[in-house]
Amino acid sequence: MSVSEPPTSAPHAAVAALLKPGAHGATGGQPVRLAVRDVDIVQLLARKGRAEDAAAAIKAAYGFDLPSPGRSAGGDALAALWIQPDGWFLIAPRGTEGALARAVKAAVGDAGSVVDQTHGRSVITLSGARATWVLAKECRVDLHPAAFGPGRVASTQIAHLACTIHQRDAGPTYDLIVFTTFAKSFMESLTHAAEETGYVVS
Amino acid sequence: MSQPFRLPAGGHVDRAQNLAFTFDGKPFTGHPGDTLASALLANGVRLVGRSFKLHRPRGIFSAGPEEPNALAEMRDGARREPNTRMTQIELHDGLVAASQNRWPSLRWDLLSLNSLIAPVLSAGFYYKTFMWPAGFWEKVYEPLIRRSAGLGRASGQNDPDFYETMQAHCDVLIIGAGPAGLAAARVAGASGQRVMLCEQDSILGASLLGQDEAWRTATLAALAAMPNVTLLPRTNVFGAYDANVVGALERVTDHMLASPAHTPRQRYWTIRAGKIIHATGAHERFIAFPDNDRPGVMLAGSAAAYVRRFGVKAGRRAMLFANNDAAFEDFFTLQDAGIGIAGIVDPRTDSAGAEAARARGITVWADSQVIGTAGTLALQGARVARRGSSGTDTLVAADLLCVSGGINPAVQLASQSRTPVEWNERLQSWVPGTPILPQFAAGSVNAVTGIAAAAADGARAGAAATGGDAAISLPTGAVADATVLPFWEVSVKGKSFVDIQDDVTADDIRLAAREGYKHIEHAKRYTTHTMGTDQGKSGGLIGAAVLAAARGERVQDIGMPTFRPFTQPVTWGAIAGPNIGKHFEPTRLTALHDWHVRRGAEFMDTGAWVRPGLYPAPADSDAWDTVLREARAVRRSVGICDVSTLGKIDVQGKDAAVFLDRLYTNTFSTLPIGRARYGLMLREDGIIFDDGTTSRLAEDHFFVTTTTANAGPVMQHMEFYLQTVWPDLDVTLASVTDQWAAMSIAGPNARATIQKVVEGLDLSNEAFPFMAVGDATVKGCPVRVFRISFSGEMAYEIATPAGFAETVWQAVIDAGEAFRIEPYGLEALGLLRIEKGHVAGSELNGTTTASDLGLGKMIKKRGDFVGRALASRPGLTDPGRPHLVGIRSVSRGEQIRAGSHLVETGTTLSLGWITGVTRAVELDGWIGLALLEGGEARKGTRMTATSPLHGESVEVEILSPHFVDPENARVRV
Repeated sequence: MSVSEPPTSAPHAAVAALLKPGAHGATGGQPVRLAVRDVDIVQLLARKGRAEDAAAAIKAAYGFDLPSPGRSAGGDALAALWIQPDGWFLIAPRGTEGALARAVKAAVGDAGSVVDQTHGRSVITLSGARATWVLAKECRVDLHPAAFGPGRVASTQIAHLACTIHQRDAGPTYDLIVFTTFAKSFMESLTHAAEETGYVVS
Repeated sequence: MSQPFRLPAGGHVDRAQNLAFTFDGKPFTGHPGDTLASALLANGVRLVGRSFKLHRPRGIFSAGPEEPNALAEMRDGARREPNTRMTQIELHDGLVAASQNRWPSLRWDLLSLNSLIAPVLSAGFYYKTFMWPAGFWEKVYEPLIRRSAGLGRASGQNDPDFYETMQAHCDVLIIGAGPAGLAAARVAGASGQRVMLCEQDSILGASLLGQDEAWRTATLAALAAMPNVTLLPRTNVFGAYDANVVGALERVTDHMLASPAHTPRQRYWTIRAGKIIHATGAHERFIAFPDNDRPGVMLAGSAAAYVRRFGVKAGRRAMLFANNDAAFEDFFTLQDAGIGIAGIVDPRTDSAGAEAARARGITVWADSQVIGTAGTLALQGARVARRGSSGTDTLVAADLLCVSGGINPAVQLASQSRTPVEWNERLQSWVPGTPILPQFAAGSVNAVTGIAAAAADGARAGAAATGGDAAISLPTGAVADATVLPFWEVSVKGKSFVDIQDDVTADDIRLAAREGYKHIEHAKRYTTHTMGTDQGKSGGLIGAAVLAAARGERVQDIGMPTFRPFTQPVTWGAIAGPNIGKHFEPTRLTALHDWHVRRGAEFMDTGAWVRPGLYPAPADSDAWDTVLREARAVRRSVGICDVSTLGKIDVQGKDAAVFLDRLYTNTFSTLPIGRARYGLMLREDGIIFDDGTTSRLAEDHFFVTTTTANAGPVMQHMEFYLQTVWPDLDVTLASVTDQWAAMSIAGPNARATIQKVVEGLDLSNEAFPFMAVGDATVKGCPVRVFRISFSGEMAYEIATPAGFAETVWQAVIDAGEAFRIEPYGLEALGLLRIEKGHVAGSELNGTTTASDLGLGKMIKKRGDFVGRALASRPGLTDPGRPHLVGIRSVSRGEQIRAGSHLVETGTTLSLGWITGVTRAVELDGWIGLALLEGGEARKGTRMTATSPLHGESVEVEILSPHFVDPENARVRV
C-alpha cells in the first residue's frame, strides 16, 4: 500500500467553471468584473470567555487585531472577517489542503475552535464602478460609501441565499461569500443581474 | 395636418416627428411627448371604452393616473398588458392599443343593453340575485358575468420581457416632482444628504409644465448637477410600509415597443428612507350629476393640461361646471387656446372667478347646475337649470364639459404611513395631519395650492427635513384659489355616477345605506365603490358625501375607506421580479452533481436539494427494473450512494459532550474517541425531532449528522439552546454540510472495495468494527471513514472535503468494478431502508414518539434531556398509540400503496396507515412500513390495507418492520 502525493486540486474549480471567460451581457457601458477567488477559508470561533486570548494569539501569529462587528482586518495575505459574535472567517490565498486550519489551530490552541470551510464556502468577486448597482438588485444592505466602504463586512440574504459581503476596496470590489452547494444558483442570479451593465470574466 | 385637434404650438410634444400607432386596428399618428390619450384626442377620438358593468360608452376623463375610463390593452401578443391607463401610456412608434370590454365593437356594443336593464343591475345585485340555486353560480352565473363585466384580457402567454427588483436607501425621499417636490429636492439636495425624487410621470414638473418652464428647467439643471440626488421619472410610489419603507414601480421600457437587450421592462424598487416628503399633489374631483359619464365630460384641470402639456384641444366648444375659482383659471386656458366657449355653470351665487369670466366675455350661469347631458356616443350638450328651481332648463350645445368639484389632496401614501388625516374646510377634503413617522407634506397635498405657494411649501419641507436653507428662487404661475363651495351631487333623477369606472351611482350608495350597509367600509364593498384600478381618486369622496347625507351626517364625520397599497396597478411580472421559473427558489447541488448528470441520473427535488433518484440503464425496461437492480447490488455485492445532503454540524468545546447529552435522548459523553453512535433528538413536546449519527473526533470535538430535511432546524435548535438556555456552556457550533461531501458504500463487498483505495487506515473488522470512525486518504485526498449503515448491509461512509468528491468517488467506483458496483439513488435508498425497517421522514413525521417507532430503548434511564418531561405525559405513553410494524401483501404480487389504511378485514374502522411501501429485493413482492394501533400484538395477523381513493383493498400480513437481518449481524461482519 503506497501513500499517494498530497492532492493539488483546486476546491473552487467547479464554481469557477460556472464563469465563462469573455464579455457578457450589454456592451458599451461600464461592465462589472466577475471572478472566483481560489482561497482557503477557516472559521475561527472563540471558546467561552476566551475571545481575548484568541485575539491575542492571532495578533501574535499574524500581526493584526481580530476585527469588531461589521469589519475586516488584515490584508490579502490573510484577512479576518467578523461573521458572528466571537467568530471570524480567516481567508488566505489557496495553499496546501488543511495547512491554514492547522496553522490557526496551532496559534489559538484551546482558546478557539477552528473549522476548515475552504470547500464549504465559495468567494465570488464582483468589482467595477457599477458593482453596487448590480448588487442592489437583490441586496438590501446599504452599500453607499456613506454607510459602507472598504473593510466593511455584512451578512445578509442575496437572491434568497445567505451571503457574507466583504468590501475590499473603493473600486468598489466586493467579495461575496456563499455556501458552495448553493453557488451555482447564486451565480446564475448574479450573472443575470450583471447582464444589464455587462460583465467581464478574465 | 392629420390631427385636427392639435394646436399649432405649445406643449411638450415634438411636432417635427410623427409616431404611427393603431387603436382598435385603426391607424393614427401622434408626436413624441404624447400619451395615447392626448394623441387620440388630437385625432378627434372621443369614444375609447365601455364601462365595466353597464357597457356605457366612455371617453377620456382625465390626464393622469386617476383615469377611470380610458383603459387599454397595450401591445399585442405575448406582451399584451390589460387595464393600462391611456393617460399614462407614452406614445411610441408602432404602438398597438385596443379598447376593452366591448363586443363585437366599440361603437356597436351588444352588451350595452345592460344599460337598459340598469335599474335591475343595482348595488349588491350579484349577491342578491345569483345566490340560488347554489350550483348555478359556478356553472352559469359566474361565466356569464365574467364575460359581460370585466376589464382587459391577460395575454395568457409567457411574458417575453423580464422584470427586476432594486433596493435603495436615502436620507430623504421626495414623492412627486411638481413645484413642491422640485423645490423640496433642490433644498434637500443642497444639504448634501442622499435625496431620491420619484415622479410617476415621464417628465418632471407636473403643473409647472406649460407654466413656469424657466424655473422648472433651471431647477432640473441644478438637481442634475447634484451627485447626491437621484431622479426617478416614470416611477410611481405605490405603497408606504413600516419605518419609511416604500415600494415603487419604475416603468423602464413601457414607452418602447420592445425592451433593448438586457434591459428590464420594469423595476420594482424597495426604498428605505430616513425621511419622506409627500409632494404627491392632488386629484381633481368631479360632481355627481345625471349622465356625468358621457364621452366629452372631462376634469377641468385635465382639459387645461391637454392644452398646456400636449398642445391638444379636448373639444371644439367647451363649457365648465365648477364650484371653485381654480377651475375657472384652468378654463380660461382653454379660451386662450382658441377653444370655443359655451359658458360656465357655477352653483355658487357669486365669486371672483365669475367676475373674471364675465370680464373675458364668458357667460356665467350662477347659482345653477348641470342636470343632464345630451348625446349618445359623444357629448352634444348639457342641460343647465337654476338650483332649487323646478322650472325649465336650458340645453347648451357643447362637445366638451369640464367639471370640477374641487380637489382631493393625494393623501394615500401619507395615510398608509399611519399619518392621521384631517378635514380641510376650505378644500372640503382630507389632508395629512401630524405624521407619526419622520415625514412631511408639501404643496397641494398639504392644501397649499398655486404654483409659487406650493413651491415655497416644498422648500420649507426640504429645509425641515435636512436643516437646509429654504431661501431659493420660486416659480410663478396661476395663483389658484382652490376654495370650494361644498357641492357634491346635483339632486335630480338620473344616473349620477360617483364611481365612473365601477358604474356606481349616487342611488347605489343610498341603496346600500337603506339596506344597512351604512359603514363606509361596508358601503364600499356592497357597491364596489372605489374598488377599481383608479381606487376612487377622483370620485371616492363624492360617494362618501352621498353616504353621509343618507345617514344625515357630515362627510367629515363618516371617514374614508382605509387607503392600502397599491396606489396604481402593479403588474404581476414586476411583483415576481427575477424569482420566476427555476429561480422561484434556489437549488442546492452536491459536489457530485455533475457526475450524476454524466451518468444519466434521473433527479428528484428534496427541499432545495436536487438528488439522483435513480440511474436508468439502457437495458432497464422500467423504473422498477432500475431501482431493483441498484438495491440488489447493495444486498448481493456493493453499491455507492451520494449522501452529501445529510446535515453536518461541527461541535467543539469543553462542554460539547454535556451539550449533546442534554439534546439527545441517549448519552454521548460515554462515546469513545473514534467511534460513532446513533442519536435521537426530541422536540420539547416529547415528539421525535430528528435522528442521525454523531462521531467523537476528540475529547472536545464531535461531528453531528442530521437528516437532510432537518439540517437547518437542528442547527437552529442547537443555537437556540446554546444562546438562551445554557449560555454558560463552552460549546461552539459550525455548519459543515457544505464542506464535506459524503458517499455511502454498502454491501457484502463494501470492505473489499474500499480497501483497495483507502490508505492509512486498517479496515479489518477487528481494527475498524461497526461504528468505528477514522481518518485516511484516498488517492491522496483526505477522507474520514465512518462504519455506519442505513441499508442494513456492511457499509462505510466516506466523507471528503467537497473539492475532492469526484476524485474519491471515481476511485471507489473503479475499485468496485470487479464487484460490479452500482451507484444507487434515492429510490433504492428508500427500498433498502424499508426492508431494514429504518425510519425516515414518513415516520419521523412530527407526530411520533420514540416508543411508537420501536426506539424506546434509545431513551436513557438517567439524566435530563430536551423533551423528557413532556414525553412522559399520558397522551404520549398510551399503549394504544399506533406502533411501527412491517406489512407484506399476502398475495405476493399485489401492490400496496402508501397512505392506505389498515382495517380489520370486513370492517371500515381505520386502525393505522401505511407510511411507505416498496417492492422488495430480499424477499418477493410488496412490503411496507405502517403505524398501527396495538401493532406489537397484531404481529402475525392479517389485515386489509384499503385505499378508498383508488378503490383498492389488499390483504396484508402484519410483521416485524425488520425484513432484513433483524439481528443486525450483517453490519458487523
